[in-house]
Amino acid sequence: MGEYRVTPGQRVAIVWDSSSPIEALKDLVDKIQALVGAGNRVSVENVNQLSQSAHKESGFDVILSGMVPGSTAQHSAEVLAEIARILKPGGCVLLKELVVTESGNNSRIKIAAKLLTTLTLSGLMEVKELQKEALTPEEAQSVQEHLGYQSNDLLIVQVEGKKPNFEVGSSSQLKLSFAKKPGASEKPPVDPATAKLWTLSANDINDEEMDLLDPDELLDSEDLKKPDPSSLRAPSCKEMGKKKACKNCTCGLAEELEQEKKSTQPKSACGNCYLGDAFRCASCPYRGMPAFKPGEKILLKENQLHDA
Amino acid sequence: MAARRLLVLFGSQTGTAQDTAERIGREAKRRHLQCTVEALDSYDVANLISELLVVFVCATTGQGDPPDNMKLFWRFLFRKNLPSGALCRLDYAVLGLGDSSYPKFNFIAKKLHKRVLQLGGNPLLPVALGDDQHDLGPDAVIDPWLVALWDKILMLYPLPPGLEVISPDVRLPPKYTLHYVAEDSPQPNGILLQPTAPRAAPSELCPFAALVVSNQRLTAQSHFQDVRLIEFDVTGSGITYSAGDVVMVQPQNCPEDVQQFCQLLRLDPDRRFVLKPTEPGTALPALLPQPCSIRHLVTHYLDISCVPRRSFFQLLSCFSTSELEREKLQEFSSAQGQEELYSYCNRPRRSTLEVMWDFPHTTCAIPPEYLLDLIPRIRPRAFSIASSMLAHPDRIQILMAVVQYKTWLSKPRRGLCSTWLASLHPEQGDVRVPLWVKKGGLKFPSDPDTPIIMIGPGTGVAPFRAAIQERVAQGRRGNCLFFGCRQESKDFYCQAEWEELVAKGFLTLFTAFSRDQEEKVYVQHRILENRRLVWELLSSRNAHVYLAG
Repeated sequence: MGEYRVTPGQRVAIVWDSSSPIEALKDLVDKIQALVGAGNRVSVENVNQLSQSAHKESGFDVILSGMVPGSTAQHSAEVLAEIARILKPGGCVLLKELVVTESGNNSRIKIAAKLLTTLTLSGLMEVKELQKEALTPEEAQSVQEHLGYQSNDLLIVQVEGKKPNFEVGSSSQLKLSFAKKPGASEKPPVDPATAKLWTLSANDINDEEMDLLDPDELLDSEDLKKPDPSSLRAPSCKEMGKKKACKNCTCGLAEELEQEKKSTQPKSACGNCYLGDAFRCASCPYRGMPAFKPGEKILLKENQLHDA
Repeated sequence: MAARRLLVLFGSQTGTAQDTAERIGREAKRRHLQCTVEALDSYDVANLISELLVVFVCATTGQGDPPDNMKLFWRFLFRKNLPSGALCRLDYAVLGLGDSSYPKFNFIAKKLHKRVLQLGGNPLLPVALGDDQHDLGPDAVIDPWLVALWDKILMLYPLPPGLEVISPDVRLPPKYTLHYVAEDSPQPNGILLQPTAPRAAPSELCPFAALVVSNQRLTAQSHFQDVRLIEFDVTGSGITYSAGDVVMVQPQNCPEDVQQFCQLLRLDPDRRFVLKPTEPGTALPALLPQPCSIRHLVTHYLDISCVPRRSFFQLLSCFSTSELEREKLQEFSSAQGQEELYSYCNRPRRSTLEVMWDFPHTTCAIPPEYLLDLIPRIRPRAFSIASSMLAHPDRIQILMAVVQYKTWLSKPRRGLCSTWLASLHPEQGDVRVPLWVKKGGLKFPSDPDTPIIMIGPGTGVAPFRAAIQERVAQGRRGNCLFFGCRQESKDFYCQAEWEELVAKGFLTLFTAFSRDQEEKVYVQHRILENRRLVWELLSSRNAHVYLAG
């Protein structure tokens, strides 16, 4: 039932106090058990025993306290803290408590606002007042019996709270931005004492006797890693703009280029021979020789003749 | 409004990190930022606490070590007594250059990033890990990272109203302006090489001009590889060294290349000039005399034989008078063109001079004042010292193989330094080589009774020759050498020296000649064959093992 914020499979604790009739308690327990289903998921605890029972922390999805009709339970800060402790992160507590409309003579019964504050101070979040209702005659009767208090301005308020969604002791990285503001104007001034130490040391730069730190200690396992060999390769000639076939081309590029040469008429390769290796094609017979003037007679030695 | 300033600090071993740092400097200028680019050890680290914006560009070298020009800074940075909030004013980013085939991939950049963070710095981006193993090299990581970096920096320091980012088509001013001096001026008084004793130990900024005593080929003439034993006289230099140390040699370009370069650029090699910095406060280039001749600049300073980087093509494209050439140069500068550039330039190891020959219309239009922005300084080469001061006082000897190999370029590739040293003929007259000494990674035991096991095939035997000479002079006998080469008759260098020491009981020698028999035999086979001896030396005599090659 939505009223109790309970879904099947959850672990629920029902906190009651002795002022409620037993039947009413049993009634509630049955209701809740029906909601959560089979298995030992419902725990029942007397509000005065709660701390001593020392339930495992963060064990319960939902805690219902003072929800048994006729309850006159007053939730102290200690009780609320315990409830917060045994609630799971993100878990929910529903409680009902007697409040007075105006603060005044009776310090035992809180005003609604104080109750909400106490809940928050116990570590609960999203503390909300759900509803207020007047007492039934039986409840008024019960109050008089158990608390010795009689008044016309009593109300029962139903409150909901949630445990924050993190565990005590958990940590999360703060995303601080280290980006410097443009302009380097906010540099700290040179500290005179630091400057003196540094300068004194610098003036003795040739002093071989000084104690040194071990530079190796600065390095961590990341630093000892070598680059991945595949990251050291440059893209092949074929992928770059310039297409030149290697001398012993086996990838088929040479044939491709031949076809291109036949179909389109690019600049004649011979036209560049005299210019020097920077301008020659890969198959030039003059490759490896310095630039020469066009018309200059160059004798290729026997061993310099390459296959075109 | 805070001043729009960026400081780029680099630690570079082979020049790549420096080139990258300079690229960042240029891109900063295009965004109207005041920018200084400096090596970490040249920067006064006392100022770091007042810096607001720094980009660190650091290579990792050796076995996870910082480059030489940031070693002092590195030791400073990790001092325990540095106050932890010291760099709280600093926005920073770290760009690393390394090679993922090494276990300590980019360790320097990673550690730097974390240490600056520890000291209170605010990182603008995660650390960039440039990788030589990528098909397109470190740029594959650097290019997108720099785009993100400029976004961040322009958010913090927006462009002043009315100003746009200077387009890459617009040429930036050169670092120095070049002023030719009149033809009849007196000779420059500073000859760079100082034969007389300097006050401090020689270093990169003040090399010692060592006289070459001898230059002897050790391998048979018929052998494919030319290996030399070269001896330098370092009397009066103040140089001391021990076995395992390294000699740095500053090479120079050959006269043919120098002449070809001057012809291509239409420069008169004999004209002299002075340089003036464009921006006040920029230091003049180290080791260039003022005034300087074009010939000296091209011979001793400009590294025209190095493989040019992407920044070279970018700057070169600004001078082009030929549309065809300019388009190609721009293509090589673009992110999409890197694959092409690597095929044209890096993989075949094409030199700067050869590229210039291929782009004649652009090259002849290069204004001489841009040469120092275009072409980096020649870098020194390291050689393990192959002799001991105890055996040869005032001498440094090296074992050097001339570097020569073929790529698909018709002209074979040659090592700049090894080819130059091999060409020296000390018997024909005085010839000097600028050099200095650096501590090496190999340290030999101080305890006289500790034996050493050395495994040094080929020229790897060089530091062991030094160690053996040193230990023999000290009377230490526990020396075991595994030497490997191709053929006993062709490249078994120092054979006579070893045989003499074996006869005297100072050396136990095992040789592996890989091609003297049907099956290949290498040093590891010899080690396995003699495992009982090796084990005995290790377990009961606490031998130290060394490997070089």
